[in-house]
Amino acid sequence: MPEMPPIIYIVDDDPAVRDSVAFLVASLGYAYATCISAADFLERLDDERPACVVLDVRLPGMSGLELQAELIRRGSPVGIIFVSGHGDIPKAVRAIRLGALDFLEKPFDDQLLLDRIGEALKVSAAALADRRRKSDLERRLGCLTDREREVLALVVAGKTSKAIANDLDISVKTVENHRHNLMTKAGATSVAQLIAWASEPGGA
Amino acid sequence: MNRFDRLLRPLLLSLSLLAATAPAMRAEDAPKTVRIGVLAYRGAEEAEVSWEATFAQLQKVMPEYRIEMVPGSAPFLTAAVAAQRLDFLVTNPGHYLELAVDYSATAIATEMDMDGTSSSESVAAAVIVRSGLSDVQQLNDLRGQRVAAVASEAFGFRAAWAEFLDRGIDPFKDTKLLFVGFPVEGVVEAVRSGRADAGIIRSCLLEKLIAEDDAKPEEFRVIARKPSGTLRCQVSTRLYPGWPFVKVAQTPPALAARMKQALLAMQPNTGEIVWAEPEDYQRVQDLYRMLKVGPYGRFTRLGLMDFAWENRWWGAIVVMALAWWSIHVARVSHLLKKRTRELQHAHEQARLKGEQMEHTMRLSLMGEMASSLAHEINQPLAAILTYARGCERRIAAGTDPDGVRQGVERIAAQAERAGAIVQRMREFVRKNPSRQMPVDPGEIVRDALALFEPTARGVVVTSDVPDDLPMVRADRLQIEEVLINLLQNAAEAVAGRPDGRIVVTAGDGAHAVDIAVTDNGPGLSPEAKDRLFEAFYTTKREGLGLGLSLSRTIVEAHGGRLDVDTDTPGRTTFRFRLPLLEEETRA
Repeated sequence: MPEMPPIIYIVDDDPAVRDSVAFLVASLGYAYATCISAADFLERLDDERPACVVLDVRLPGMSGLELQAELIRRGSPVGIIFVSGHGDIPKAVRAIRLGALDFLEKPFDDQLLLDRIGEALKVSAAALADRRRKSDLERRLGCLTDREREVLALVVAGKTSKAIANDLDISVKTVENHRHNLMTKAGATSVAQLIAWASEPGGA
Repeated sequence: MNRFDRLLRPLLLSLSLLAATAPAMRAEDAPKTVRIGVLAYRGAEEAEVSWEATFAQLQKVMPEYRIEMVPGSAPFLTAAVAAQRLDFLVTNPGHYLELAVDYSATAIATEMDMDGTSSSESVAAAVIVRSGLSDVQQLNDLRGQRVAAVASEAFGFRAAWAEFLDRGIDPFKDTKLLFVGFPVEGVVEAVRSGRADAGIIRSCLLEKLIAEDDAKPEEFRVIARKPSGTLRCQVSTRLYPGWPFVKVAQTPPALAARMKQALLAMQPNTGEIVWAEPEDYQRVQDLYRMLKVGPYGRFTRLGLMDFAWENRWWGAIVVMALAWWSIHVARVSHLLKKRTRELQHAHEQARLKGEQMEHTMRLSLMGEMASSLAHEINQPLAAILTYARGCERRIAAGTDPDGVRQGVERIAAQAERAGAIVQRMREFVRKNPSRQMPVDPGEIVRDALALFEPTARGVVVTSDVPDDLPMVRADRLQIEEVLINLLQNAAEAVAGRPDGRIVVTAGDGAHAVDIAVTDNGPGLSPEAKDRLFEAFYTTKREGLGLGLSLSRTIVEAHGGRLDVDTDTPGRTTFRFRLPLLEEETRA
């Protein structure tokens, strides 16, 4: 799948601030989109693209922090950089605990903002790749039969084929067949790789 | 002789006459009695003597009547006329004038002087002194001297009085008057004896006395002489018409005509008085008017004094009432002035306090708005900085000259925006007395919204303000302040609600422009609603409780009202009305 270029969303109800940030990021050749509210942003967000959002904490309607919660709920890979006119420390702490990359006070240092945007895009790209891999695995593991899932669980638990055959009260030969089939379906080249995948969150 | 005697003597005399004639009337049964009053200025006997020939002639030509003479003083004759006891009378012009006014007396003939040549200039007065007083020549020389006269009511005295006044002398003040009463010889006697320095007598009396040998020609001298015309006597006054023969109201016209005929036919054969057609007594009238005596004196000097004396107790009560009233009025007006001053002072204090409170409110509003404002000014600053950095990067890269130009333009625009905000706040916080002038209310609302909206973060503010609202008279900044205050309250009421909304409307109501701010916040507790407009009542942790109270004060100072409406559930509306400019000019 060809990687799409990253995009920077700028969400601020002040048109001048919105425009000036866009003007700054454009100087580095970034693609950007400006949004006047959280709802506007959610409508235009492309989840399949490395992205970051420069997000004002105070917005008409849904606030910046509420938008962050929504993005986490959705498991969005978009990186969040908060900006605020007020040095609102409690809000900043909460935002960063929940995974925001930074909380910048207006007027902000352009270099710092651009650095954070760079980081956010990297994080976003990584998260996007990870998410893709996981969904790929899920899709593959989704094809396993019930018996194959039982065998997989026992393999991941480190049991031998003989012990599995004994546990499930089936022949060793049948266990070997299931192992072969699930390896093929998951696309794993070795049992070690299979174990690594299956032990990741979301796996099995 | 006192006044009582003067009145009583002729009265008694005439009563005895009446008593004597009454039985005769009854006995003879036929001839009707005609009573003719005669002013007896020299006494009754003298009068009878001087009028004897005249009356005898009248009796002769009017045999069908019994002619009776009733001599007496002027007051006696007046009383007799009032009692309808007289049919005619012969009197001096002054007395006639009084009778004419009071009893509709009319002159039917006027006495002619002795030569029978003039009737219009036959009476005057003479002022006499003893011949020895050679230094007394004019009336002016009588200042401070004793002057004798018959009475203040006597015609001779009045004629002389006018001459005194003509020379700037008030005989009552500038001379020592001595009224000797009737008969007039008393005056001559007073001068002769030295009791008086001068005497006022009827014209021709002196000549008559000399002719009768009652006075020597060298004994007296007439001073201040005036032309005497055809009158062969020395006079000191103007000449007045002779004595009139007068009929009174009840005299039968036929009798009057008969009498007049007899008079005009009379010849001076044996001392009869000669008569002519009645003269115009205007000159006498003028004299009396000038002296304010007779009919003209009734409501002036004497009249007023008499009235005052007769009613002195009532007068005292009236005076006391007037005094009380004056004191009362003075007191009330003093209190009124004092209270007006106090009220003005209180007004001034209240005005100053009002301005001070208003200023405090502005400051408190400023405090409440301060953090929002910091943000508000921070926005353009942040934009400016970011644009500038963007420009730097473009210049460094040398790639996008057009972008640099755009960036600089936007920087300028944002700097202007920041400046405008600062300017607005400066005007807002300035302490200015109310300056009401014709303004478009829509403009005020739009300005207030422009000032408020950027600070209302998280709240949706919508407005419905027509462009063609009628003009009102208002202090733009004060009304803006009221609106911002209402908007802030609304914003605080809906703070934290995801669906928080504020709606601002302005509309042309009946004779006023209605401006309303509605929010969908939690509304007001009953207590809050009751005390909403009280100063220092607040439901906010950091509020002063002045906003609504001063807002109402401001709106009322504009002739409007500020009310709250919570009738629709889920909505709180603050509404105020500003009277239209045209209403003002219509009123």
